[in-house]
Amino acid sequence: MTGGALPERVRQVVARVAGPERTPSDAGPDTPLGAGGFWLDSVDLVEVIVACEEEFAVTFDGESDLTAEALSTVRSLADLILSKGPQ
Amino acid sequence: MIGLDLLPWPWGEDILAHLFAAVALVRGSRRRAAIAWASQQPGRRAWRLALAVSAFRGRWVARSSLLGIRRPDDLRRRVAVRGEEHLAAAPGGAILLGFHLGPPNVDVGLRILGHRVAWLGSARRSRAWSREAWRPLLDPKDNLFPSRRFWSGSLFRARRLLLDGGALFTLADGWSGREVCRVPLPGGYPLMIRAGWLTLWRQTGARVLPATTHLEGRVQVISIHPPLPTPGAHDADLPSAWPDILGSLVKDYVRRFPEQCPVLPFPKRPLPGSRVAVS
Repeated sequence: MTGGALPERVRQVVARVAGPERTPSDAGPDTPLGAGGFWLDSVDLVEVIVACEEEFAVTFDGESDLTAEALSTVRSLADLILSKGPQ
Repeated sequence: MIGLDLLPWPWGEDILAHLFAAVALVRGSRRRAAIAWASQQPGRRAWRLALAVSAFRGRWVARSSLLGIRRPDDLRRRVAVRGEEHLAAAPGGAILLGFHLGPPNVDVGLRILGHRVAWLGSARRSRAWSREAWRPLLDPKDNLFPSRRFWSGSLFRARRLLLDGGALFTLADGWSGREVCRVPLPGGYPLMIRAGWLTLWRQTGARVLPATTHLEGRVQVISIHPPLPTPGAHDADLPSAWPDILGSLVKDYVRRFPEQCPVLPFPKRPLPGSRVAVS
């Protein structure tokens, strides 16, 4: 998996959790996961994290990995996944 | 507070309770809010209940700040648990579901009495918790605080803990987060049940055990209730029987211990259009 293809796969996972109503039509790597983007709340984000663990076969550390910064946009989440190893 | 903390327990707590009651008498907005709410509680004298619920706020602040309580042993003598058998009944993860009603520190009380129960909720702010004697009870593994008000990390850690068969205590109601249902209560202010615990249940299948707590004299009694029933195959995200069960529990609590429900006359954030408003 290249760093370039990963954000698109992450975007698809996020869109699946957010549903069509909350997914912006022009959603891209820099779309915020929360307000102004997918409008995911903390509970939705947990669902995204769990879905990403399954989809990309990575394991997150709840204490150090899942910061507000890491979960701010599709790209920052993709960067976090990339940092956890090969997908 | 520091001066009150030097006094032997429960002097500081009693002084704070009287102080909060006096402030409620003097401050018009608090007095009106307390009396308006108290006058709608059946079978109670409004003034007396208004003063008692105001005083309880002082006790809540004192206990959450460990006022005059130096060591876990001091607390052990003043905590009792009922319904422990529900917690021990079955293996696997368990969500102990509390409410913003009654005295604080349910998780600490349970840990002091030997139950391994984590806390999923706000960080404890009082400096008293930093005393050496309390450190063993504040292991980060057992205290899932949000980092800078960002809850996803602690919710995720809670999910892991439950999948590993652990138990945690969290609150069903609150002022932020997605609302799943409301418990209407006499006096105008409902209890708003939020989605965090429900998501944890959906993702882990942990048992959900409602837990209430109240003061009997000086002793904090923690009551663990039977687990919420296993949902039917066709139940939605929120199993249909659960709102009624939680609602009955809360209504019964408010009926029995109205003076221990300061969150109802003095909500942190008034509802839009609510009759209750506290400055």
